[in-house]
Amino acid sequence: MEFPLIFWSVVLWMIAWGVIGGVVTPRVFLRKDMDISNAPLAGAFVGAASGPLGLIPLWHFAPQTTNRWVLLSAVGTVLILVTAFAVADPDNVCVTNGDLVASQITNGLVMGTIYGLMAMGLTLIFSILRVVNFAHGEFYMIGGMMVYYVSAVWLPGTPPVVAVLAACAITFVIGGLFERIFLTPMYDGRVERPIEYAVLVTFGLAFFLQYFVQALAGASPVKARRFFDFPIIRLPSAEDPWLIKTSKANLTLFDTVSISNPRFTAAVIAILVLLVLLFFLYRTWYGKALRAVSQDRQAAAVTGIDPHRMNMLAFALGGMLAGLSGAVLVQAFSWVPQVGMLPALRSFVIVVLGGLGSLPGAFVGGLIVGLVEAAGTGCIPDPQRAASYIPAYGMIILTLTLLLKPTGLFGRKE
Amino acid sequence: MRRQIPAIAGSLALGFLAAFPLVYGAADYDYIMHLWITAFFYAILASSWALLAGYAGQFSFGHMAFMALGAYTTGLFNNYFYLTSAATGTCFEIPFGSWYFVVLDPIGISATPFSCLDAAREAWAGNVVVKKPSLWFGILFGILVGGLFGWLIGRLVLRLRAAYLALFTLGFSEILRSVLSAELNITRGQAGLELDPLFPNGITIFGAVFDATDKLPTYYVMFALFLACIAIMLALERSRFGLFVRSLREDEDAAAALGVHTVRYKVLVFVVTSMIAAAAGAVQAHYIGIITPNILIILQMALVVAMAVVGGLESIIAAAVGAMVLYFLLEFLRNSFTIGDVTVDMTTWRLVFFGALVMLTLRFQRNGLLYPLIESCTRSGVAEETVAKRVAGASASEDAEAAK
Amino acid sequence: MIDLKVNAVQKSFGGLHVLKGVTFQVQGAELIGLIGPNGAGKTTLTNVLDGAIKPSSGTVYLNNARIDHLPPYQVAQAGLGRTFQVTRAFRRMTVLENLYVPALAMSAGKSQKDFQAQAMEILEFLTIDHLRNEYGRALSGGQQKLLELGRLLMLDPDIIILDEPFAGVHPKLMEIIYRYIHRVNDAGKAIILISHQMESIFTLCRRLLVLNYGDLIADGDPETVKNDPAVIEAYLGEEDDRSGIGSAQLGAPGNA
Repeated sequence: MEFPLIFWSVVLWMIAWGVIGGVVTPRVFLRKDMDISNAPLAGAFVGAASGPLGLIPLWHFAPQTTNRWVLLSAVGTVLILVTAFAVADPDNVCVTNGDLVASQITNGLVMGTIYGLMAMGLTLIFSILRVVNFAHGEFYMIGGMMVYYVSAVWLPGTPPVVAVLAACAITFVIGGLFERIFLTPMYDGRVERPIEYAVLVTFGLAFFLQYFVQALAGASPVKARRFFDFPIIRLPSAEDPWLIKTSKANLTLFDTVSISNPRFTAAVIAILVLLVLLFFLYRTWYGKALRAVSQDRQAAAVTGIDPHRMNMLAFALGGMLAGLSGAVLVQAFSWVPQVGMLPALRSFVIVVLGGLGSLPGAFVGGLIVGLVEAAGTGCIPDPQRAASYIPAYGMIILTLTLLLKPTGLFGRKE
Repeated sequence: MRRQIPAIAGSLALGFLAAFPLVYGAADYDYIMHLWITAFFYAILASSWALLAGYAGQFSFGHMAFMALGAYTTGLFNNYFYLTSAATGTCFEIPFGSWYFVVLDPIGISATPFSCLDAAREAWAGNVVVKKPSLWFGILFGILVGGLFGWLIGRLVLRLRAAYLALFTLGFSEILRSVLSAELNITRGQAGLELDPLFPNGITIFGAVFDATDKLPTYYVMFALFLACIAIMLALERSRFGLFVRSLREDEDAAAALGVHTVRYKVLVFVVTSMIAAAAGAVQAHYIGIITPNILIILQMALVVAMAVVGGLESIIAAAVGAMVLYFLLEFLRNSFTIGDVTVDMTTWRLVFFGALVMLTLRFQRNGLLYPLIESCTRSGVAEETVAKRVAGASASEDAEAAK
Repeated sequence: MIDLKVNAVQKSFGGLHVLKGVTFQVQGAELIGLIGPNGAGKTTLTNVLDGAIKPSSGTVYLNNARIDHLPPYQVAQAGLGRTFQVTRAFRRMTVLENLYVPALAMSAGKSQKDFQAQAMEILEFLTIDHLRNEYGRALSGGQQKLLELGRLLMLDPDIIILDEPFAGVHPKLMEIIYRYIHRVNDAGKAIILISHQMESIFTLCRRLLVLNYGDLIADGDPETVKNDPAVIEAYLGEEDDRSGIGSAQLGAPGNA
């Protein structure tokens, strides 16, 4: 970075006013007899984006149009950060190379779709059981391992679809069994503090599954072949394929945006699964029953839905969604038993950002986290350092969310 | 008396541990001593986590982060701070009486780092005294830094409950690990930060001379730290502190309505347990001699959780004993074996066994495997007393129950 | 002299006005009943007095010290104690430890031993002394209720708010709670009793406060209140009357 002082002083200035806004605004709103659940968020963003210039009007005109203010200042905050970065580091690839930026954004969205899918599993479990599954990453890992073992070791030549279905099946079964054996005591008051019990027992499950797979499969990385090769397409013409150009393993759009085959396949599958999931949740009896239980457990029970069976279904389905995410990504990354750690943390971030228990929140959160990670890895000058900080980007989002708006973007009040 | 059994067993065990290094003389002396030192380390962590999670109900997965803060603070102190009798002119330095307090530039990751002090040394040609401040100051700093961050995290998580708290603290731990691995110019990242042994020049105890690599002095340091931590925690447990943190674990609103300053005690329990974890980390770091960001991978946290859960979350002693038992089990299960032509790789299977043990303990014996034993002794007679008094003077409230 | 001044207390949750300017005063060892249909704001008022939630406007003074902006633990230390509608015993602490919590919170520098005699006296009074070393969770629902009352005696506040102490309680326990209320009152403490059991309210209380949708619609001795048209209107006007108070009961004096 050429002028780090500029960048960091802007960041410090924004943090300072963000903190002032976040702390003072709830008090002002409280005095004005207003709902303060959004106040820290509004104050922090307005403060960060405009400092005292925005905060004083915000406090003065308080009951009017604060939602639009928040949105504008959120955009403003991001813009100021980006501008400060561009001014401070004019030679950075992210500033000089528009193609790279477009590519990064596309890849961020592609990965974000898959992150969203995995996070939906977590949020589905939470919305029904009020349990955060700390073994979510292990379901992801097992999904990928299963695809690798089915398609490369046990039955070489199996079509990828079969392998993916096998991965879904096994993660579904593990989820269901675990719920039956270990979570049932929570429902009837046999456990003194059910939430803490669930945290510990799923943490134990994570530990168990990780090393169980390691004991069986070993710790060395494996990698599945990509599911299929792109057909060679060159549009509009073979000589000047400025619209679409494919090779077996890559897809280039407009000569600028490049997406690798495994990621593309994974994102397409993720979107298909998403549609199936939505159909399931909104059009089938089981899906409607699940949503009913998540909205009001007792009311659902009165109408003849067995909430206990829904618990099992939700946990199995949630685990399966994580397994599926792993199954479609195993062709893109090399796989070890510890591979689930990072995606699990990322899913936690996404569901907290989107609002624990909210499915649309998980999807939008996935896209946001995908973009932030793409920006972080693409633009931080020292690539090795950028890679080391990948978990941190998500955690910064998590911390900010928990401090400013613990219910998340789409969360409902507890 | 049954009630005295735990106290008697405890004193016997402590006597055994105090005498052990002096009487044990087998060929694997160094190995066994190493096991005990590490077992004390884990016992301190597991029991302090039990105080945080079991007593105060704050299920934090960031405990190892505080341990690492202690370790890295003393590690950086040990590597970066020097006292010299003349100005270096090249390093950052503060005059300090007739001495200079010198802070090195980032040491980087090269195998043979050449610091600004090395440059000055060459120029001085041996005429200037260069000293490292006592590493005990580093350990002290480590404990303070642990406490400071404990306070900060405790403040931040005040409003978070259960799963959110676990997520947030896990996140804190991961951020710290990222920073430690990424800022490798300062921390040397995965290359590892080297530390002096606890007694760099050896030590003489009652005429017996021990050099820097001898385990016995370290054993007693760790043992003393263990005893001190347990004593502090037990004293706290029996004081109003213990009563209040348990009450806020049970019901925060009800505790507040009865006059308990819940915020203060919640933050305080974070500060205390963080300082204890940091102390353990700092001493252990000097004993091991090298630290990497891997000391706070999730596996480590999972081990500490497993130890506390299996021992008994709601008892400091049970968690400490559970940690020792599990640690020795871990070590002794390390040997792989072969049945026919199948080799069972125990280094991994023992962890599988651990995971299963934790889940089964939680499922079927929620208070741990050890704590119920202790409790059955200390609480022996309670039920009999209840029944006896009920028979003697049947009370109105009992009548009411009987009538139901 | 105990003096609680509640002045124009309002509370709204994002547009929903739960308390619309409640004003009353408690002076000396009064025994006051607070009644009102479901959703009248009784529990919200309790939470405001206790500091669990801050009023949107208005003030609360206890013995001439302002308490409405204080956190609950300071309100408790200032001399206002309350029970909860759902019993909230500390389940994994022994009965004695339950009692020591408020005792120690109120006094710096003392230890559990200093309060043992007092605690045992209270447990005997509540007839749960034989359970002193049992965990809270081992107690029956009624016994937990008694334990909660015992904790309040250890806190020894000037004013006690009892939220539905008689709900789902066996007659024998009811007797004990009656004795408890008289004991506290005779010791010069004020009590605000929230209950749907009109019989108990009319037996015990010399003054009634009636809340209806956030308004304090009546304040006076039971006979006057019973015949107050606004009160009758409030109870008759409620279509789905689950409060346990029959409108006929209110409408016909002397029936209670």
